[in-house]
Amino acid sequence: MAWNDNNNQSPWGGNGQTPPELDEVIKDFKNKFSGIFGGKPASGSQKSVTPPTGGFKYIFILALLVWTLSGIYIIDPAEKGVILRFGAFQEETGQGPHWHLPFPIESLNRINVEQIRTAQIGYRDAVSNRRGGNVSSESLMLTKDENMIDAKFAVQYKVNDVQAYLFNVANPDATLRHVVESAIRQVVGKNTMDYILTEGRVAIADSIKERSQELLNSYQIGLYITTVNMQDAQPPEQVQASFSDAVKAREDKQRLINEAQTYANDILPKSRGKAARMLEESKAYKSEVVSKSEGEASRFGQILAEYEKAPGVTRERLYRETMENVLANTSKVVVDSKANSMMYLPIDKLIDAKKTRTEVIIQEAQPGQDNSRGSVRNVFRNREVR
Amino acid sequence: MKKIFPIIGAVLFLVLSSALYTVNETQTAIKLRLGEIVTVENTPGLKFKMPFVNNVVKFDNRIQTLDAPAERFLTGEKKNVIVDSYVKWRIVDAEQFYKSTGGNIARTNNRLAQIIKTGLKSEFSKRTIADVVSGERSEIMSNILKLANKDIGEFGIKIIDVRIKRIDLSQEVSNSVYRRMQAERQRVAKDFRSKGAEEAEIIRAAADKERTIILANAYRDSEKIRGEGDAVSASNYAQAYNQNADFYSFYRSLESYKKSFNENNDIMVLNPNTEFFRHFNPEVK
Repeated sequence: MAWNDNNNQSPWGGNGQTPPELDEVIKDFKNKFSGIFGGKPASGSQKSVTPPTGGFKYIFILALLVWTLSGIYIIDPAEKGVILRFGAFQEETGQGPHWHLPFPIESLNRINVEQIRTAQIGYRDAVSNRRGGNVSSESLMLTKDENMIDAKFAVQYKVNDVQAYLFNVANPDATLRHVVESAIRQVVGKNTMDYILTEGRVAIADSIKERSQELLNSYQIGLYITTVNMQDAQPPEQVQASFSDAVKAREDKQRLINEAQTYANDILPKSRGKAARMLEESKAYKSEVVSKSEGEASRFGQILAEYEKAPGVTRERLYRETMENVLANTSKVVVDSKANSMMYLPIDKLIDAKKTRTEVIIQEAQPGQDNSRGSVRNVFRNREVR
Repeated sequence: MKKIFPIIGAVLFLVLSSALYTVNETQTAIKLRLGEIVTVENTPGLKFKMPFVNNVVKFDNRIQTLDAPAERFLTGEKKNVIVDSYVKWRIVDAEQFYKSTGGNIARTNNRLAQIIKTGLKSEFSKRTIADVVSGERSEIMSNILKLANKDIGEFGIKIIDVRIKRIDLSQEVSNSVYRRMQAERQRVAKDFRSKGAEEAEIIRAAADKERTIILANAYRDSEKIRGEGDAVSASNYAQAYNQNADFYSFYRSLESYKKSFNENNDIMVLNPNTEFFRHFNPEVK
C-alpha cells in the first residue's frame, strides 16, 4: 500500500513497484555495490579485494558474507524505513524484506506511520504513567471573559511524512505538545466560558485541531493530527460548588414550575367537578321544589274541596287531630296565664330528661281567681319519677 | 612483499578514516583549517578533509526549541500574569553561528530567552489581561517574533516562531477571579430560582383564578336554576292557596305545629284557658 507511493525515490527503480524477491535483493546488492565503487562489474570488484593466501581467503569471504547479510532488514506493514547513506537521505522503503549497504555505509531508521500516537494535555492516564492524574498547570486556562476553566485534551496524531519527521525538527513529539498547548490556550482564550463548557465543545476541539495543524505545517514537522478530543472541561475545583449549585438552581426552577403545574392540574379538574356538582344539585333542587309544590298544591286542593263541603266539622277535626298529635309528642307544662307570679320552671332539667316523657301540669287551683292570691301554688301532678 | 600488504592496508584505512567524515541529513558542518573556517557543508553525505590539518564542527540544523521557564509580567492594569512561552529557531548561517556563539546552543538559548523576555515585558505592559488572553495574542507573538529576529541577527539563526503557551493569573489574582466566578454563579442560581418561583406563582395564580371563575359561574348557573324552581313552586302554591286563603292559613298553621313540635324534648308551657282545653277544665265556662 503506502510503500508503493514513496518508493519511487529508489534510484534503481526495479524494486519500486513490487515486493522484492530474494534474488532481486541479491541483484540489488550487486548493483549497489558496483554503483558505489565506480560501476565496475561485480566479479571484478570481488577479485580485487580477494587476499592472496588460501586459508585467510575463506575467513575473509566468510566475514564479507556476514557483513553483507547484516544489511538485510524487514519492514512491517505499519512501518516505513528510511535509508541514509553516510548520513544523507538515500531512499524510503515500504513493507517487506529489503537490503541496504551494511554499516557503516548505510543506516536504517524505522518509523511507524500507522501507529496512532497520543499526547495528553492536562492529565496523564494511569496506563502510560504510573502516577496518573491531573496536571493543573496544563489544564487551567483563561477564557475570553476572564474566567478560568479546567480543560483536558487528548490529541491523537500520526507521522505522515517520515523524512520531515526525521530531518526537520529536533524532538518532534515534544514540539507537538508545545504546539497543541499553545493552540488550546489561544482558542480557549477567544471563547467565553459558557460556550466552551456547553455547546462549543466540538467546535473548540475542531478549531484547536485546525490551529495546531497549521502550526505543525509551518514547522514542516511531518505530523498529522487525526483527532483532538476535549476529555473534560469544567470550572476549576475552587468554584465547582457554586457551579453545581447553579445547575441545581436550573433544576429547581423546573421543579418549582412542575410543582405549580401539579397544583393547577390538581385543583382545576376538582373545581370543574365541583361546579358540575353544584349545577346538578341545583337541578335536583329545582325538580324537588317543583314536584313538592305540585304535590302540596294538589293535596291542598283536594282537602279544600272536602273542607268546603263541611267547613265547621272539618276545621274542628283538623285542629283537634293536630293538637293531639303535637301534644302527644312533646313535654307539656300547663300554666295559667293569669297567674303571672314568680314561678320556677327547671326547664334545663326538663330538657335533660328528654329521654323520659315528663308531663308537668301547673294549674291554678281556682282558675279565674285574682292574681294576688294564688301566687306559688303550683301543683305538680302526675310527675313521673326519673 | 606479501607481508607488506596488510600493513599498507591498515595505514591506508587509518588515513582514510581520519580523512573522511559524514554530515547527517540533520546537520550542517563547518570545516576548519587550523581554527580558520574553510567551508560550510550544507549538504549531507560523505566528505573529505585533510587529516590533522582540518577539523570539523557539526551543528544540528533542525528546528530547535527553547522552552523558557514561566515568567511573571505586569500587564497594563498592573496585574501579575505568569507567561509560559516557547521559541522555535534554527541555524541558518552556520558560519555566523559558530563565530558568534562558538556553537554553544545553551548560550544561544540564554540569549534568546533574554530577548524574548524583554519583548514580552514590553508587549504585556502595553495591554490589559483581556487583550493578551483573547484579542491580541497572535499580534503579540508576531511582534516579538519580528523584534527577536532583528535582535538575534548576528547569531546566524532564524527564529521561526515565538508562541505563548500559557497566560496564567498569579495566585492572588486567580483567587479574586474565583470569587468573582462564584458570585456570578450565585447570581445565576438566584436568578433561576427566583424565575422558577415567579413562573410557579403565575401558574398557581392562574389556576386559582380559573378555579374561582369556574366555581362562580357554576354558582350563578345553579342559583338561576334554583330560582326557576322556586318561581315555579311559588306559582304552584299561589295558584292552589288562592282558592281559599283563609283555610290555607288555618291548614298551614296546623302543618307548622306538627312540624315544630315533634320532639320529646320540646316543652310546651300552655295556658289552660284556650280553645284546646275547652273541655279540660269544664268549670271555666
